[in-house]
Amino acid sequence: MALAIESTRFGHVEIDPETIIEFPDGLIGLGGTRFALLTSDPNSPFLWLHCVDDPSLSLPVTDPHRFFSGYEVELTDEDAERLGLDDATPVDVFVTVVASSELSEFTANKRAPILVWNGQGHQIINQAPDTDLRAPLFAEVMGSAGDPS
Amino acid sequence: MLNITRRRGERVVLGDDVFISVLEVSGQTVRLGIDAPRSVRVYREEIWLEVKRENEASAHASGASLPADLPAPLKSDSGEGTRSNVVNPPPQS
Repeated sequence: MALAIESTRFGHVEIDPETIIEFPDGLIGLGGTRFALLTSDPNSPFLWLHCVDDPSLSLPVTDPHRFFSGYEVELTDEDAERLGLDDATPVDVFVTVVASSELSEFTANKRAPILVWNGQGHQIINQAPDTDLRAPLFAEVMGSAGDPS
Repeated sequence: MLNITRRRGERVVLGDDVFISVLEVSGQTVRLGIDAPRSVRVYREEIWLEVKRENEASAHASGASLPADLPAPLKSDSGEGTRSNVVNPPPQS
């Protein structure tokens, strides 16, 4: 049975309980323990990570690989052990997006990606090099002069 | 705030299972060792704070609807296995 929430952003929303992602530690500094991904446009690269228990908490997220070639996530040994993750675990990676009225001002947080697997989510501190906190989201896709091949 | 004076090699215990050791004191710098259960997340404060602020900025940024007309992404199919819920677009403001 669908779970209904009255979202501040989207109004009445029904969530399939099977899509709920448990965040045992919440988002860093924000909390929240149960989230679901929402989209009003399945073709959009953006999803909304919406807290199930707080109708006013939602963040736009995207798959960083759509915008940043060569983006990598590297865990500390402590995080890898804490989360029980190894290289073989299939994990979906999302980054939070700060939206703006101008495309050029959209940024994504490459430093603290959100990892989702087996119905659970964790926001971690990325140890890889080149992890801007406010990476211009469209710099690469708009900056390439060559034809996409 | 609780104030505790410690010397090199001494520890502070938080609860029953978090141990913070003073490893080294050198001028303005103190090296701490933290021994905590795996479930306890440990951050340098400035990193925790900047991620918290960025999360808040993301949650509070204006624009209920994200632009539909976007430059083509590097790859169109994300291959994400995580399922999402399709909802009605937010009311235009």
